[in-house]
Amino acid sequence: MTRELAVEAHGVTKNYGQLRAVDNLSLQVAAGEVYGVLGPNGAGKTTFLRMLFGLIRPDAGTIRILGRTWAEVGVRVLDGVAGFVESPRFYPYLTGRQNLEGLSLLDGGHPRGRIGEVLEIVDLADRAGDRVGGYSFGMRQRLGVAASLIRDPRLLVLDEPANGLDPAGIRDMRALVKRLADSGLTVLLSSHHMDEVEEICDNVTILRQGTVAFHGTIRDLRGMAPDPGYQLATSDDRRAAELAQAPVTVKADPEGGLAVSGPRADVVTYVQTVVGAGLELLEFVPTETPLEALFFMLTGATRGPEQVSAS
Amino acid sequence: MTAVRWELRKLRAQWRARAVLLAALLGPIPIAFILHGQSRPPKDSLFGRFATENGFALSLLILGFAAQWALPLLTAIVAGDIFASEDQHGTWKTVLTRSTSRSGLFWAKVLVACSFAVLVVAVLAASTTTAALLVVGHQPLIGLSGQTIDPHSALRLVAASWATTLPPVLGFTCLAVLLSVWSRNPAVGIAAPVVLGLVMQLVGALGGLDPARQGLLTTPFDAWHGLLASPHFTGPLTQGLVVCAVWGVVTLAAAYVLLRRRDITGG
Repeated sequence: MTRELAVEAHGVTKNYGQLRAVDNLSLQVAAGEVYGVLGPNGAGKTTFLRMLFGLIRPDAGTIRILGRTWAEVGVRVLDGVAGFVESPRFYPYLTGRQNLEGLSLLDGGHPRGRIGEVLEIVDLADRAGDRVGGYSFGMRQRLGVAASLIRDPRLLVLDEPANGLDPAGIRDMRALVKRLADSGLTVLLSSHHMDEVEEICDNVTILRQGTVAFHGTIRDLRGMAPDPGYQLATSDDRRAAELAQAPVTVKADPEGGLAVSGPRADVVTYVQTVVGAGLELLEFVPTETPLEALFFMLTGATRGPEQVSAS
Repeated sequence: MTAVRWELRKLRAQWRARAVLLAALLGPIPIAFILHGQSRPPKDSLFGRFATENGFALSLLILGFAAQWALPLLTAIVAGDIFASEDQHGTWKTVLTRSTSRSGLFWAKVLVACSFAVLVVAVLAASTTTAALLVVGHQPLIGLSGQTIDPHSALRLVAASWATTLPPVLGFTCLAVLLSVWSRNPAVGIAAPVVLGLVMQLVGALGGLDPARQGLLTTPFDAWHGLLASPHFTGPLTQGLVVCAVWGVVTLAAAYVLLRRRDITGG
């Protein structure tokens, strides 16, 4: 029995002048799964999603959505599809409810009461009468999810839904996406936060400069992950480094202290040895999870403040 | 039609559109009072000589003045903004990920912009003529050939004269649509048609450029003169209709192609 595919991209390529934003990208999203497209900024995630929505045309390749293509059925290809690309945008001079009513009109109308239901789901019912111009970033993100849900989609496409949100907003957005995923919806999620994808997704494609750097399940990804890293500072770092034994590796950190990596149990043993040798332990903190380390390895991305804050 | 309803709903919610209609409705009233109170009528302008003593002449004087820049501006305020505002708010990606095609949205916006232009001209014409007749009076009108036109016929001719501005106003609407799509900037979409209109008038005023003058979008604004002559002549009206139709088709076709081929990358 062949599995039903919600999205099937084959050889998709997009150039902006000399820049190849997406290069021969192929991926398959099965119906009912939660699929992550991961990559640093500029990797081509948003360009791919824009092509999926027909906002831009691929230079080569095809994207089949719920079995149809743009070339075959035009805008009807988006029947059963909803979502947003980058941060959702609305008309600031209209209220949240008026925005949803208008978008509902463009969909050809929805059952009475549906707008109220989705506003409840995203926890915006109390502010639905306020103009969107006065909404916070997080409220606009949630209104974006509401605008998607009124279409009662089978495929929900979310482009970095937690981007720009404060920690509480990130937590709420992830909980919302999880709830939606649990309801059986196919979710295609792009992100540059490894932990977000790890927490929610079944399968993942990691992009690097428009090309696929990894494609597989989260379990496969975990299997490839390197040892976790730690930051260690002691009263005598030189002596502490001398105490290290394989498989634990210790290097001087340019920013001070020692960068320690290795299997978790061996690192714990090593730290016990350091303490047992009479050195004072000043700092011992994890710097990146194994999947984060793998993400940086695969994408060539550098560790930035956003990754630090999200982890 | 749902896209048209959506565009109308947005237009109703915009203060700018309401301000334009309000200006068209109330603006002529103080102008009528001010012109009526002039000790020396503006004799150099068409119908200016009689404007302080004849309401029909005052309405036609304001028509001639409005055609210079006010009508292009009033229509451009909506038409020049209707596409570019989607760029300004970053909402193309919001509306183009629904179940309405680019073509559907394009024609809905064009229809709403053109309908608004017709409404503005109708409101301005009705308000101007009513104010002029109430403030100055409805004496018989002296036509361009010196003929006397009774008040009933004069009212009909004044209404027809205002109606003849519809083709060039719609032409400017289409031009503003093109500039709105092309520039993606509401300020350009609104201001550029007015500036281009003034440039066209300047070119039209230059001698020795008659063939070019016939093709300008501002020339049909003068086509009503033939209605006030005796006997009437309608050649400029017909020619103006053709010119405006060509401007409309060419600008809308260009705007349509631009929007259809465009990659929506911003916002």
